[in-house]
Amino acid sequence: MSEETWTPSKKKSLLDPRTKLLLIFVEAVLVLATTGGERLFWFRIVFAVLPFLLLLSAKRYKICIIGLAVLCTIFLLEYTVFPYAHGLSASMLVLVITIINRFLPAYLTGVYVIRTTKVSEFKAAMEKLHMPDVLTIPMCVMFRFFPTIREENEAIRAAMKMRGIRFGGGKVGKMLEYRIVPMITCAAKIGEELSAAALTRGLGKYKKRTNICHIGFGWADIVIFLLVAATVLYWILGVFA
Amino acid sequence: MIEFDNVSFAYDAAPEQKSLCDFSLTVKDGECVLITGPSGCGKSTLLRLLNGLIPEFYSGTAEGKVQINGEEIQGIGIEELAGRIGTVFQNPRSQFFNVDTTGELAFGAENLAIPEEEILRRIGRTVKAFQIELLMDRNIFELSGGEKQKIACASINVLEPEIILLDEPSANLDYEAAESLRQLITCWKEMGKTILIAEHRINYIWDLADRVIVLENGALKKEIQKEEINRFTEEDTSHFGLRSLERISPVSLVKNTEQAETDDVIHLENFHYSYDKKHEIFNIPSMRIAKGKVTAIVGKNGAGKTTFLEVLSGIRKNDGIMGLDGKSYSSKKRLGKIFMVMQDVNHQLFTESVLDEVLISQPEENEEEAKKILAEVGLLSFADRHPMSLSGGQKQRVALACAIASKLPILLLDEPTSGLDHAQMYTVGEILNRMKGEGRTIITVTHDSEFIEHCCDEVIQIKEA
Repeated sequence: MSEETWTPSKKKSLLDPRTKLLLIFVEAVLVLATTGGERLFWFRIVFAVLPFLLLLSAKRYKICIIGLAVLCTIFLLEYTVFPYAHGLSASMLVLVITIINRFLPAYLTGVYVIRTTKVSEFKAAMEKLHMPDVLTIPMCVMFRFFPTIREENEAIRAAMKMRGIRFGGGKVGKMLEYRIVPMITCAAKIGEELSAAALTRGLGKYKKRTNICHIGFGWADIVIFLLVAATVLYWILGVFA
Repeated sequence: MIEFDNVSFAYDAAPEQKSLCDFSLTVKDGECVLITGPSGCGKSTLLRLLNGLIPEFYSGTAEGKVQINGEEIQGIGIEELAGRIGTVFQNPRSQFFNVDTTGELAFGAENLAIPEEEILRRIGRTVKAFQIELLMDRNIFELSGGEKQKIACASINVLEPEIILLDEPSANLDYEAAESLRQLITCWKEMGKTILIAEHRINYIWDLADRVIVLENGALKKEIQKEEINRFTEEDTSHFGLRSLERISPVSLVKNTEQAETDDVIHLENFHYSYDKKHEIFNIPSMRIAKGKVTAIVGKNGAGKTTFLEVLSGIRKNDGIMGLDGKSYSSKKRLGKIFMVMQDVNHQLFTESVLDEVLISQPEENEEEAKKILAEVGLLSFADRHPMSLSGGQKQRVALACAIASKLPILLLDEPTSGLDHAQMYTVGEILNRMKGEGRTIITVTHDSEFIEHCCDEVIQIKEA
């Protein structure tokens, strides 16, 4: 078929989906749960900066700038406001600062992974890791569902805004319910239609599906692996020292 | 060959009501059959019996035989039929599993464990036949409804089934998108596929059909053969309660009597909107809309019709000013002064009962009046039902009841007739006329030429900036 006008794209994302999974795990353990304590401080800094670099490599500038802005605000709070705070306000500040400092890198890594991984790439990775379908398929659906939920949420917010003035008075407490009820019903309806469509296209017919998507490790994956290995090694040395 | 032999079916959800009743039909290989009839006539049930969604997905009691090439298919299993039967569904947003278009096209074939090179060859052929080069390697969430529906058709085509079912595929499409859907169906016809289409909106495929089946209450009302299809007139369609046959572009219906600068107009000044600095969606320096009338807003795909309504209602901020009764309204002031019925009404039904929904829309709750309004839109017997348990047409009437209850002077509607049958469309028209009688102004975005001719006084086109 020489006259074919379409050729499969060879473009791959910088990291293999398996590396991305590893990265999420490391971010959660090292930065979020602060495993390793003071000894791993500099590694933690590296892993906190890493999501920004990855987002830059994926040309996600907006979220990068927002992340930086949040980080700057937190630092400002920590060094200008915090020293003068006392009592309840001080503990509130500590809470906010710690939560954001710890969650932000993991959250940004999550954003990077969701935005740069195709469902089929993810599926291919899970198959290579010999994960069972009962685990893989719900996770694939989640990938597809994040943007859906965002779309639905925006539409519902618009609808509420339009009728907002009617929700005044004693009904403020009901706002959350009004927001969540249509959200759940819409998501459930889409989920049901989606599974009907997927079943009619043979999802689950054979144990072994084919996959036109190729994944593989590149130089960036090796860099991340070395970094993770170095962290673990340094940590273990510290434990036995 | 597809054979329905004395088939009856009742859903478990409504066992007393037969969705199909002693129905028989034979479809020859390569035939294109259009199945139509009012909402709830059993069109979708017919298709679901074929693709296996009944009984696996929608349970119920079935009688009679459904056979493909002499083989009974009841109980075979949905995925066994995949690859032999392909189905295009109504909602473009809920029938793709992947986020990228290429992965989506491969999805079905991957499930059937077709070798990789063969999948790529088939995708190549499909892309060429359907002319969708520009849609490849894209994020599906960034595509328009019409483009999504094209991808849905293409992903079915990659499976190369002999039988193709389409369940109200145009319900959410505008005029041009329906026309391009027509082209894809023509393409399938040329490939010799057996095609069954369930539709309300029959105009865009009427002359493609080899046979038309009109259903009513689950039974055959009229079978129209090819010769008769060509002779079928508008009077005949209204006799059978069907939608119009004429393919008229809504843009060709523009009629806007020059509104004088009086108190009887709503004046829009400097209405423009852009998502980012580069792309302006629309730009309207000045527009006058007649007060107390029904005005249709038409425009090509991507002309920003929905965005225009969102800006007008104040949901989206801009610096346009609306003048009404000598007062000026900025976008902030418009918010809450204008009621909007969205295209997907599911997004604006918040409460647990139909009555509550109307009550929260009233400036001050008044149950007696709310019930009166529900009676007017024919929903009084549903007052205690959960809005989400209603049919699409009924949900929309709930939203219209809320609009009436709100007592707001301006009502905006986004594609109010999508997916509605002939009778439901007329009901919407009646409700709008009643609101007009109260002196309210109704502005509706629509692609439905029949609806425009039925109940719109003015037709204004907005153009892409």
